[in-house]
Amino acid sequence: MSSSYFNYTNSPCAACKFLRRKCTSDCVFAPYFPPEEPTKFANVHRIFGASNVSKILQEVAPHQREDAVNSLAYEAEARLRDPVYGCVGAISVLQRQVLGLQRELEETNADIMRYASYLGGETASVYGDRRG
Amino acid sequence: MSQIKTIHNPIGSIERFLDLLLISLIVYMTLKGGTSGACAACKYQRRRCAADCPLAPYFPAEQPKLFQNVHRLFGVRSIVKILENLDEVQRPEAMKSIIFQSYVRDRNPVHGCLGITQQLQYMIWVAEEELKAVNSQLQLYRNGQNHPNPHNMMIHEIGEKQEDLTSQLDLGMGLPVNTNQGNNTIPFFSPVSETQQLQQPQHMSYCSEVNNNHDYNPTPESCKEVLNNHNNTSLAWGQSQFPYNHHHNYGFMNQNEHCSETKNNNSVMAIQSQLVNLQMASNQQEEEVDVHNYDEIHQFLEIIDESQSFTETKEVYASSSGESSKEPIDEIGEKELRRAATCFSLTSVN
Repeated sequence: MSSSYFNYTNSPCAACKFLRRKCTSDCVFAPYFPPEEPTKFANVHRIFGASNVSKILQEVAPHQREDAVNSLAYEAEARLRDPVYGCVGAISVLQRQVLGLQRELEETNADIMRYASYLGGETASVYGDRRG
Repeated sequence: MSQIKTIHNPIGSIERFLDLLLISLIVYMTLKGGTSGACAACKYQRRRCAADCPLAPYFPAEQPKLFQNVHRLFGVRSIVKILENLDEVQRPEAMKSIIFQSYVRDRNPVHGCLGITQQLQYMIWVAEEELKAVNSQLQLYRNGQNHPNPHNMMIHEIGEKQEDLTSQLDLGMGLPVNTNQGNNTIPFFSPVSETQQLQQPQHMSYCSEVNNNHDYNPTPESCKEVLNNHNNTSLAWGQSQFPYNHHHNYGFMNQNEHCSETKNNNSVMAIQSQLVNLQMASNQQEEEVDVHNYDEIHQFLEIIDESQSFTETKEVYASSSGESSKEPIDEIGEKELRRAATCFSLTSVN
């Protein structure tokens, strides 16, 4: 990213290339859409639109813009792959995994409780024998 | 004078006519808004809502914020284009996911749904680590049944480790973040108070999507793994290192962002915890996960619909439900661990 930041004066950023406009020194997209990744901007533009992305970047603090762009790129790609559910499909999958794991944990903990009570009973009987 | 009177009368009648016209127009608009009503989309765009407005079924007039969020992220043209390429059956589902995505982006403008994905990946990692520890504990118990005395010591040692894990989880220390800049990061759903700073362990194993990766790395790359598994297609630009973590800690918020993100975290967690509770209550036995099973994703979206409130009191919703519903997810894991740890200390009799 840092190399593209310094190179944007040499070649237009992916956004300006896509939009066929001059990439100025104050281009808001240049730091985040390097010319080596044309698909990134193409996806984002196709789903969200350049003006929306620009507005989102303006609303976000400068040190957070890279994260914002990356998350938008992720969501755009997800939406292109799955026009119905987009990234929400992946969230649903993960949610199911979490639930499955939590269920498994409960069952395993229940087993441990059973063993613990069994061993506790054994220990108590040992104590009883020793005292007796 | 009589001429003046005759002049004034037509003007007066015109005024009266205009008044009547205005009143009827107002009545008409009121009636239109009261009965069929312009949808939120058309209201926002200040245009007439046609009978065949494609967005009207999804954006009721009484929930303007829904459309505002969607408009801010996607834009009208994009939504219409998405809808046009889908079947009638798929359109409601697509709109639900778009509305959800926009809502999440509104609450978390920086990370959006990617933040939730990473949060869930972290939860999976934590659950897997717990499961590993608990399974090893269980194995010891099973072995201890056959050979009770030598293993009591081992159980005691494992119990201590379990207590360490419990105390780590208590303090939210389960996040193995490599701090490039030495900043402390706080996981989304740490049970501790929000201002507590934590020292993170450096290396933990992560046995979920990326099996060979021994450093926990909830980057968008690992999220892209989920997309890969979800769709079985290769990524468009997966060859280059995703720049997400270039200057930041892995995945989660920097401390600088923490305070501003707290409410967002709470609301996202509120949604998630409600989802967990609702799904656990209603979920059937699912042996295999079919990632292309739209019925299950549909169920997920139905639950989102029921649990989300898009009224103007959403802040109240977030603040009131955030703390109380933050409890369930954490309580499930913590209570079980504490119970298990207590058992170990009780049973470690010498």
